[in-house]
Amino acid sequence: MLQPELIQLLTASDLVDLRIDAIPKLQVGFSPGSLFSSFTSQDREAKLTFTFIPHQILLNKDHEFFEDGDIHRHLYLQNLSTCPVYDSPTARQCEFRCHISGCSQVFSTVEEYEHHYNTLHRHMCSSCQRSLPSARLLDIHIQEWHDSLFSILAERQDMYQCLVEGCSLKFRTREQRKDHMIKIHQYPSDFMFDKAKRIKKINIANKNRQQKGTSMEVSMSGSEPEDVCQVLSDQPEEEEYMELNHSLEPGILDPAANPINTVELSTDHDTAPILSVTIQPTTNQQRQQHNRERHSYRSVFTSNLKWHTISYMVHHMILMYFP
Amino acid sequence: MWRLNAVRHKAGRQGSDLEEFKFKRRAHEKELRRARKDSKLVSKILLLNDDENEEDGTMDTLASDQVLELFKMVCQGRDLVKKEADLRALRKALRSPSAHLVLIRQQSSIAILVTNLRGPSPQCRLEAVRCLHELSQSPHSEVDSWRLRQATPYLITFISGQSPKFTELCLYTLGNMCPDSENVRNILLAQGIIPALNSCIQIHRTNLAVVEAVGFTLSQLISANYVTGRIIPAVLASGLIPHLLSVLTPVLTPDSQFGLGPVIECAWCLHYLACSNVDNGALVAQGTLLRCTSLLVTLGGAVAKGSIEEGMELLIWPLLRCVGNLLLSGPLGALQPQLNDSRLLAALCAFPQAFLQTHPALARESVWVLNNLTSAAAADSSVFCSALFYLNLVPVLIQLLPFSHGINIMVLRVLGNIAHQGREYCLHLAQAGLLPALCATLKMADPEVVTFSLEVLGQLVASDPQLAEEFVRQSGLPVLEAIQYSNQETIRLRAKHLLEHHLPPHCTVDTSASP
Repeated sequence: MLQPELIQLLTASDLVDLRIDAIPKLQVGFSPGSLFSSFTSQDREAKLTFTFIPHQILLNKDHEFFEDGDIHRHLYLQNLSTCPVYDSPTARQCEFRCHISGCSQVFSTVEEYEHHYNTLHRHMCSSCQRSLPSARLLDIHIQEWHDSLFSILAERQDMYQCLVEGCSLKFRTREQRKDHMIKIHQYPSDFMFDKAKRIKKINIANKNRQQKGTSMEVSMSGSEPEDVCQVLSDQPEEEEYMELNHSLEPGILDPAANPINTVELSTDHDTAPILSVTIQPTTNQQRQQHNRERHSYRSVFTSNLKWHTISYMVHHMILMYFP
Repeated sequence: MWRLNAVRHKAGRQGSDLEEFKFKRRAHEKELRRARKDSKLVSKILLLNDDENEEDGTMDTLASDQVLELFKMVCQGRDLVKKEADLRALRKALRSPSAHLVLIRQQSSIAILVTNLRGPSPQCRLEAVRCLHELSQSPHSEVDSWRLRQATPYLITFISGQSPKFTELCLYTLGNMCPDSENVRNILLAQGIIPALNSCIQIHRTNLAVVEAVGFTLSQLISANYVTGRIIPAVLASGLIPHLLSVLTPVLTPDSQFGLGPVIECAWCLHYLACSNVDNGALVAQGTLLRCTSLLVTLGGAVAKGSIEEGMELLIWPLLRCVGNLLLSGPLGALQPQLNDSRLLAALCAFPQAFLQTHPALARESVWVLNNLTSAAAADSSVFCSALFYLNLVPVLIQLLPFSHGINIMVLRVLGNIAHQGREYCLHLAQAGLLPALCATLKMADPEVVTFSLEVLGQLVASDPQLAEEFVRQSGLPVLEAIQYSNQETIRLRAKHLLEHHLPPHCTVDTSASP
């Protein structure tokens, strides 16, 4: 329970010098350039942003801070506290919440939160809100989809990198890359290299499931309608999309083998959308987002987008067309 | 004495009885919380009489005409011995609350009881006060203390008397009457209840039952709502404080019969006095801070040894509150001599550890006291902040960060206070392992926790570039980047500021580490 050091301190004999003023004092003060020490404009801004100031707190007897103690006292006075097994409030461990605006999922352990974050938000493309499995793939994605220079260069040189880490080959077209990956790296041919334009909705339906290990590309926010997907993509009709499955088990990607997902999304966006998720044991199953869309999907729709999502997208639209 | 008897009864509880008891207790607790929110939290005590323990079974509730019959006999009786017997029978009848209404509606009933209260026969006096005592804690609102006010001058006079049992009954009766109405309290004040309490506690200082009763009555008087501005100054001026303090002896050898009862009551009185903030300087001058802190140190020692007595938290609570509020009574530097025992800091860290699961609010209040020690002017608080490092208490605090109920916020305040002292303090905080702990608190659901964490983090990374690098090494950057998407603007701004001004650019950081 108590640390041995603490016990030792409290049961120290009188021979030990217990005086606080005998303890050496650390030097106070900051070096110049720290958060509050100087008057540079940066620090003035800091002073406005960071508002905590140490201050003593006086509490009067009716303050809610004192509620539990008062209740305990009155239970004692009224003879109800002398019970060997009584349920008083126990200290709860704090919950963890995903901070990404629009997500707001809550977890009871850090591990769950981190897994969620790694799966959905970690390597997220800020332009199209898609989450990639790794930093490298994110870089490739951004380059191929959001870099206007890329398509220009691709006309003259081999720009499409092989997606397998360690393979430095580049190809002139996506098809060539795909063929290479199938032939040389033995990716299954029905692998999800391509994705039709509706994938966004499926992704919403499939996201937030906590999958161990691999992750598919999922989109983050449930608030974007299908149109946005078209607007942001370079090729409105045949959108090629990179999704990688690190566990190359053929056959598992058949959507019929997967139980229907049970994700429901709140369509109310005045408050942060609460996403209720049924966590299914999906250790070895990979959701086949690509094929799934052909069979069934939940249509996710919102009546209004969050204002900042709108402005973000508008901003990118503008950049796309007026570089 | 009342509590002891109650405990004895409860010892026989078992099985389904226990479940029922727990259920009742939970319901009762809800009621109390609601009452507190409405500022109506009031408790009254019923002293159990010795002869009742010897009786078997429950009393039969007498019909109202039987009660009236008894009362008539009391009125008419001439023979004192017979009158005593009649009064005793009436008192037993009053054990059932329905009889209260019958009696109170009877004309001159209180006057008759008062006559017996001040009459020549000691036995009749005893029985009369017992009757009044029953009425004083009646659950019926019709039987309020205003109706009993005729008795107060006698009750007050008698508490300066010599017989302990009688005095105890007078005290609890008065104590039950205090919370009901301001008018009654004004009368009590005018009739000299405070000097009477003062002389009572001196006369009976060796009788723990009476001391406990004095403490209870005083606590009822000063904790009632809308206490006039006169009561507390009168208490402070009365000379009661030194006597209350003498009850708080650091030597804890609880009487087997009374346990911590008397000490608990006196401690609650001191808490009510301190939090009213009328003249805390006077309290400190009379040694309150010193006594309370010594007792806290003793209790900390008991907790460290693992010998946590039942009810110990009832004593720790008011002591913490008293100390916490008295720390604002003047510049902390002036109070330093009364706070010079370093074990106080150890005790304030031990209580949260020991009571975290059973009484988390107590853990929170203990850390609140630490906040008041560490947040005064830098010159004054630096000594306590330094001591926390010297005694290696900061890791103990950091261990409390996962816990809600306001505990982690208060701990973050203390850590923020320490960080504000200076660069050396920030370095020591990092050495104690604060940076990884902050990486965890930044992910928590409560936005207030996140905001405080950002404040503390800001202070740390801005005070020394080493700490900024250390934070990055602890994979803190992805956490901050994630926070930039928070829907709370205050959080976003702080995170953004830190990323822009105080942390190395993130493209140079290995992002393959997990957040």
